[in-house]
Amino acid sequence: MIQENIANSSPKRSNYRKKNSQIKKIAGILRIILHDYRGQIGSAFIILMVVCAIFSPWIAPFDPYEQDILNRFASPSLTHLLGTDYLGRDILSRIIYGSRVAAMVSFGSVCFSAIAGVIIGVIGGYKEGRKLDYAIILVFDIIRSFPQLILALALVAVIGPSVRNLILALAFTAFPFYGRLARAETLSVKEEDYVKAAKALGATNIQIIFKHIIPNTLSPVIVTGGMDLATMIMYEASLSFLGLGVRPPTASWGIMLRNGLTYIHTSPFMIIWPALTIAIAMIGFSLFAESLRIALNPKERKLHE
Amino acid sequence: MNKKLLEVKNLVVEYRLGTNIMRALDNISFSIKKGEVLGIAGESGCGKSSLGLAIMRLLPRAGKISQGKILFKERNLLRLSETEMNREIRGREIAMIFQNPLHALNPVFTIETQMVDIMRFNLRYQQLNINKKNISLKDRAIELLKETGLADPEERISDYPFQFSGGMKQRVMIAMAFISNPPLLIADEPTTALDVTIEAEILVIIKNLVNKYKNSILYISHDLGVISEISDRVMIIYAGKIVEMADSRSLFDDPRHPYTRALLESLPDTKTHKGRLPTIPGCVPPLDKLPKGCSFHPRCLFVEEICKKNTPEFVELAPNHWVACLREGKLGRRTKCF
Amino acid sequence: MLKYVIKRILWIIPTVLGVLILLFSLTYFLPGDPASVMLGPRATPELIKDLNHRLHLDQPVYTRLGYYILGVLRGDLGESVWSGHKVSSLIVNSLPYTIILAVCSMGLAALVGIFLGVFATIYKESIIDHLVTGISLVGVAVPDFVAACLLLLIFAVHLNLFPVLGAGEAGNIADEIHHLILPVISLAIGWIGYLSRLTRETMLEVIDSDYIRVAKAFGIPAKHIYYKYALKNAIIPIITVIGLGIGKLLGGAVLVEIIFNRPGLGKLVVDAVYARDLPVVQGGILMATLLFVLANLIADISYAYIDPRIQYE
Repeated sequence: MIQENIANSSPKRSNYRKKNSQIKKIAGILRIILHDYRGQIGSAFIILMVVCAIFSPWIAPFDPYEQDILNRFASPSLTHLLGTDYLGRDILSRIIYGSRVAAMVSFGSVCFSAIAGVIIGVIGGYKEGRKLDYAIILVFDIIRSFPQLILALALVAVIGPSVRNLILALAFTAFPFYGRLARAETLSVKEEDYVKAAKALGATNIQIIFKHIIPNTLSPVIVTGGMDLATMIMYEASLSFLGLGVRPPTASWGIMLRNGLTYIHTSPFMIIWPALTIAIAMIGFSLFAESLRIALNPKERKLHE
Repeated sequence: MNKKLLEVKNLVVEYRLGTNIMRALDNISFSIKKGEVLGIAGESGCGKSSLGLAIMRLLPRAGKISQGKILFKERNLLRLSETEMNREIRGREIAMIFQNPLHALNPVFTIETQMVDIMRFNLRYQQLNINKKNISLKDRAIELLKETGLADPEERISDYPFQFSGGMKQRVMIAMAFISNPPLLIADEPTTALDVTIEAEILVIIKNLVNKYKNSILYISHDLGVISEISDRVMIIYAGKIVEMADSRSLFDDPRHPYTRALLESLPDTKTHKGRLPTIPGCVPPLDKLPKGCSFHPRCLFVEEICKKNTPEFVELAPNHWVACLREGKLGRRTKCF
Repeated sequence: MLKYVIKRILWIIPTVLGVLILLFSLTYFLPGDPASVMLGPRATPELIKDLNHRLHLDQPVYTRLGYYILGVLRGDLGESVWSGHKVSSLIVNSLPYTIILAVCSMGLAALVGIFLGVFATIYKESIIDHLVTGISLVGVAVPDFVAACLLLLIFAVHLNLFPVLGAGEAGNIADEIHHLILPVISLAIGWIGYLSRLTRETMLEVIDSDYIRVAKAFGIPAKHIYYKYALKNAIIPIITVIGLGIGKLLGGAVLVEIIFNRPGLGKLVVDAVYARDLPVVQGGILMATLLFVLANLIADISYAYIDPRIQYE
């Protein structure tokens, strides 16, 4: 076996073999997800939202900023399928454009926080017990002491509301969670025999981190990230609702909800549609996150067979 | 009295794993008299644990009793509803001592609470004393713990399970089993998870209690030494079928089945064995891929052509000595060949 | 046990210090000149300079940080830029509304959620089980403020069953409860979903344990096994979650407070952010964070207390 590996380990061949098995693994996971009803519904929603986000100018029937004061508070009709808001803007179009903000903020913040968290967490875990590790844990704990929404709120108030700042602020509040996760994984993987063997064979720290430790952190991080996608949509809506997120007149579900609340006695539709959209989006993402968790967790897979 | 306390007839227990169905017990029939100790011996994976669980109807979800009758005091246990089984049989008429005492006790309740609960649900009203205060129940529990040799029972009864060692936990389990003085005890390898020294102590405890209260025991083990010490009658199981059943003396002095022979000859004995320890060639077949004909034939030293085709019948070769072998006990004085 | 508690408390000190530093640096960068805002449009440059000096705004960063920390330790959180009231009293006045909301919501969620979870375990794989799973999924996914908006629309505006705004007449318990109902339900929905799910999962694990099988072998009736033997084991992690949840609610019920116009801590902070009222923002966030940390601490300690194994370690 060992002889085979050495003989076959010319760079091209081993890379191909590795990529092939990784693709097979990913394909296997996707298959499990799509076989589960949760995965099916969830993936459908994610795809729907991504399509709306990317192709909004082509899908939306109206311009989301176009006002039609004479026609405001209109009930749903054939032209305005979901009615119009207090400025006469088409609600359906604003919801479709709102998916852009939601998608950007959720995917963006999850990516940033996951990457930052994993890198810092792994470094801390690897240098366990040293001052650097204690400092990192302290930073994590300090940030985690704040209620997420309030911290994000304060950050956005300081650096100014915009999509980019929203992503950064949310990522800042979230990265310690990924960091803790990554650090815990690092601590346990560090003690595994194959890591010690690799070290004995002369692997450098960087090599060990990238080849052994980080792949092991991927699974829980991806599961957490999946769940966070839904949570971040909620935080974006919350902050925009408070006026501390995206600036009007940009279409965001949170802003639409706020406007709907203001005019709740005048038109129920202004508040119903964004509320339902947020709820459905979150249900969809949560379902997807759930099936992702089952797919990546061999124990769970057996339970749900 | 020669009345049979427990009579098992043609019992078949099957397990479903995915699409496979395997028979852990295939057409098992035997009986136990009042006050008798029946030892059940066999290797791991031969289905003996399923026997105890089947009688108590505690098989895991994947297991099923698909055929047969289990007559306890002439009542078919398989006809009882779950509630009846719980209320009348489990813990009261039949009690079980489990294999691994490590996690057998609820970690968040004291020993006292758990024992008193068993008393509340199993002892008949008269036995509970008219004054139903827990104090008398607690004293009863302390008495039982004393009988199992647990040190300092008055103090320890208020402790939590994690404060006990394995041997102590097993003593508690035995005390629990004797709470209602059940006519039948099922001991499922009670000493397997314990050190050898503790094992000896536990065996003594069980023997003393049984002598005192005259219960019947179904003692399941893979250790022939233990079985020989405690049993009146012995039953050997291989691959889900009984291969030999006889009085203890009769079986150990004159084993008639090749498997029993091989088991006894593989017991280490410094006087006659020198050099390599004898073993039985091959290994226990997985229960879903049993060999055709006699299940033991691939490993049998006395195998013949007929063994590969026909399944042996259970035949009484000597008074109370039953064997399932096509050679019908005619094995000659052939000794081990290693 | 005491050692464990002391260790935990000791670790909090550097954490809280870090929190203070972080808070300070946030508000340090918050745009706006507090002195001129406080004094109004007719302030003269000398008055501004004088106020700046009194507020230590003209000192280097570290000194200001020092003054801030000392002030916090003394309980002095400054004064509101807008109203001039002491920040600490503003916060103290808003706390009861927030705490009552958090405790009632979590209490309701715990009762309903745990019961649903145990129920779903007993009737596993049946319609009831699937129903509970469905409810919990929706409950977890729908955010509290969305539920609040919908509930407000249906029950307060259209059906006119509940009041739309405020916390009710102080001192009139019935009125206060009337005003509490919709906000509590909005917050509880999410937690009911989560807790019923969590209870079901923990119970399922516990039911498979050896000791449950042994209890069954001794004839202990099923209801007794579920509600006493299994639940006490399952509830240990759940209690921790509830404690953490209350902490989260204390700092996170912001939107519900705003939607229903309850004068709680969250609304105080947000209004202060709109008004660029630095001291109130600082003080409010500090309070919310401290409550959160305190709730976490209590949850950790009670976990150690309930699980007898940990106590003796």
